[in-house]
Amino acid sequence: MSRLVARILAMAQKEVVHILRDRQFLAFALGMPVVLILLFGYAVSFDIENVPIAVVDQDRTPASRQLVKAFTASDVFVVAAERESPDSVETLFRSGAAKAALVIPRGYSRDLAKGARTKAQILIDGADNTSASVTLGYATAVSLSASRAELTKRAGPVELPLELRTRTLFNPRLKSSVFLVPGLMVIILVMIAVMLTALTIAREYERGSMEQLFATPVGRLEVILGKLTPYFAIGLLQVLLVLTIGVTLFEVPVRGSLLLLFLVSGVFLLAMLMQGLLISVLTRNQMVASMAAMFSTFLPALLLSGFVFPVENMPAFLRYLAAVLPPQYYVRALRAILLRGNGLEVVWPDLAALSGFFLALLFLAVARFKRTLG
Amino acid sequence: MILKEYQQTFRDKRMVMLLTAAPVVQLILLGYAVNMEVDRVPTVIADEDRSPQSRSLAKELTAGDAFTLVGQVPSGEEAVKMVSRGEVAIALVIPRGYAERLRAGKTARLQALVDGGDSNRATVAQNALAAFVMQRASGLALERAKTLAASQGRALDIPLLVVEPRILYNPTLSSKIYFVPGVAATLLLILTLITTAMGLAREKEMGTLEQVLVTPIRPEILILGKTLPYYLFGVVDLGLVIVAGAWIFEVPIRGSIPLLFLAGTLYMLTTLGVGLLVSAIARTQQQAFFGAIFFVMPAILLSGFITPVENMPDWLQPLSGLSPVRHFVEIMRAVLLKDASMGELASPLVALGGLGLTVYASAAYLLRRRLA
Repeated sequence: MSRLVARILAMAQKEVVHILRDRQFLAFALGMPVVLILLFGYAVSFDIENVPIAVVDQDRTPASRQLVKAFTASDVFVVAAERESPDSVETLFRSGAAKAALVIPRGYSRDLAKGARTKAQILIDGADNTSASVTLGYATAVSLSASRAELTKRAGPVELPLELRTRTLFNPRLKSSVFLVPGLMVIILVMIAVMLTALTIAREYERGSMEQLFATPVGRLEVILGKLTPYFAIGLLQVLLVLTIGVTLFEVPVRGSLLLLFLVSGVFLLAMLMQGLLISVLTRNQMVASMAAMFSTFLPALLLSGFVFPVENMPAFLRYLAAVLPPQYYVRALRAILLRGNGLEVVWPDLAALSGFFLALLFLAVARFKRTLG
Repeated sequence: MILKEYQQTFRDKRMVMLLTAAPVVQLILLGYAVNMEVDRVPTVIADEDRSPQSRSLAKELTAGDAFTLVGQVPSGEEAVKMVSRGEVAIALVIPRGYAERLRAGKTARLQALVDGGDSNRATVAQNALAAFVMQRASGLALERAKTLAASQGRALDIPLLVVEPRILYNPTLSSKIYFVPGVAATLLLILTLITTAMGLAREKEMGTLEQVLVTPIRPEILILGKTLPYYLFGVVDLGLVIVAGAWIFEVPIRGSIPLLFLAGTLYMLTTLGVGLLVSAIARTQQQAFFGAIFFVMPAILLSGFITPVENMPDWLQPLSGLSPVRHFVEIMRAVLLKDASMGELASPLVALGGLGLTVYASAAYLLRRRLA
């Protein structure tokens, strides 16, 4: 047992020397997470605002101006252009200068005064479906509230029959960065961890130094665990870095136990480093390994983790795929620990899934890691 | 020279697989994943009123696709617990006295509890619930106004103001149509940039670059030979992705295909150029790989691929103009969905071309100096 540990440590030491010699590598390993979280935190925002809207007011009355104001008073819209006729709107849509257009036809205020059904139109560029659906909801809300105002004007005060009060737990202002940061940690760790290790064994094969390693009595498990250890340390440092920035810059709360957070992160990290090593063992070629690392990390972590897109809406085969990949479990556990302050009683299934994935990959890597060069 | 790079790339069958099959497989998988439409929101209803009115409200709410009823609990406290444990995303509490207040012509209050841990879903769920309540409320308000007017012995003109929406290009608001161009651009970026960046670095690492340099091949030819094969791969992939997008995800092809490929060429000029730039600087394949990632990630994140550029803070928006992904995705969306003309797309095309030429020229300059 002690021999095993000694050999693993010797392997680890060799890898540490490698890492320390390569300054650019260290700069990447510690700089990249910082760059990523800053970019993600600021550039990706689901808080829809500043949707450019074109205004086509053919009525030009106080009533029509009031309707325009009902749209432009909020932060959701900014007036991008004013046009005389709705024909020129599509050019604005095509060049991306506007994503919506409010068209108020002549006779709008006359109809309104008569008490007739009064129509204005909002044209929406459906290509950007998120902004479009927010615009759609906004248009409905404006119609309903304006209709109700007219109703009270005519019929006298009618008490509002229903009122909905919403209480948001854990993230009262629904700031998207608060819920994004846990998702970011997943993407960052997945990418960096897999990339850190994907090339290590492939590189030794390419350079021929694997042969020298095989000449020594070091076992397969020992090589793999030895390679894993230093990167694990770097990974934990990254977790700390990302978490610190998330908490200080993006006001992400840490409601649960820090110990549990690091436990879950550690297991996830091990699973991801293992995925990188497995890629390295299987490909033995740095170029193929890097493509495989890229394709097996970024997009799946972004799209199948439930970080942006809800997994429960996906077709069955993707739900199964997401279920065998670790990111989904880590996102869930992080949100539970950070935002809801849940403990082990809620998080244990996720922790178990992550551990299972790590062990399965470790087994696979050792089994496929042959001591031959064929 | 081009032939040599070809042979080298083709020798490794796995590389060919990665370069052609992987993007399509990824697009298919991920195209199915990108579904922002939040429906089937797990919901719990706490009906404290237990009246016919409250039951009909609960039934109507869960009748559509938007909300899936996970369970009913007798009290609001239990609903809070379920939200806290993450078992449901939203809870509707119908307090005692709901039916009575409605009957008396007063305001009946409802409460929604939302799990802010997933704010994207929470926002959508909350908006859907608010819209549902508002629709119901205005129906009830109309009835009340009518009764009031009737009791005063006059008929009521009901002015209804409607801002009628018309959605162009993507009437079902499918998010696939928004995301497929983004996924395609991302795949193309990863593919062309990383391969170019690592190709030259590999030769440096293995020492074969020196052998090439002693032959009378001019550096321009070397650069061309190193990038052209990947460009051709990129063109094939772009075609595959457009076909797959149209076929599987019903992304329409309304505009001009040559215009798309023109934009694709300008786009790849940048991505290949950055790849060359990275490989000029990097000494090992690992450095080249990391250098490539250092460009790829910011380029993707700043492109508005996931969320629109307007959502970014003002100081960041100009920076996103430096991302070739942003311009290419903009052009792809505009051409595929809106049949935009070259004139309408002048500004992203010029930006893309400018970026491409600058990057490619500086990469070529740097490489020539390093190789000479």
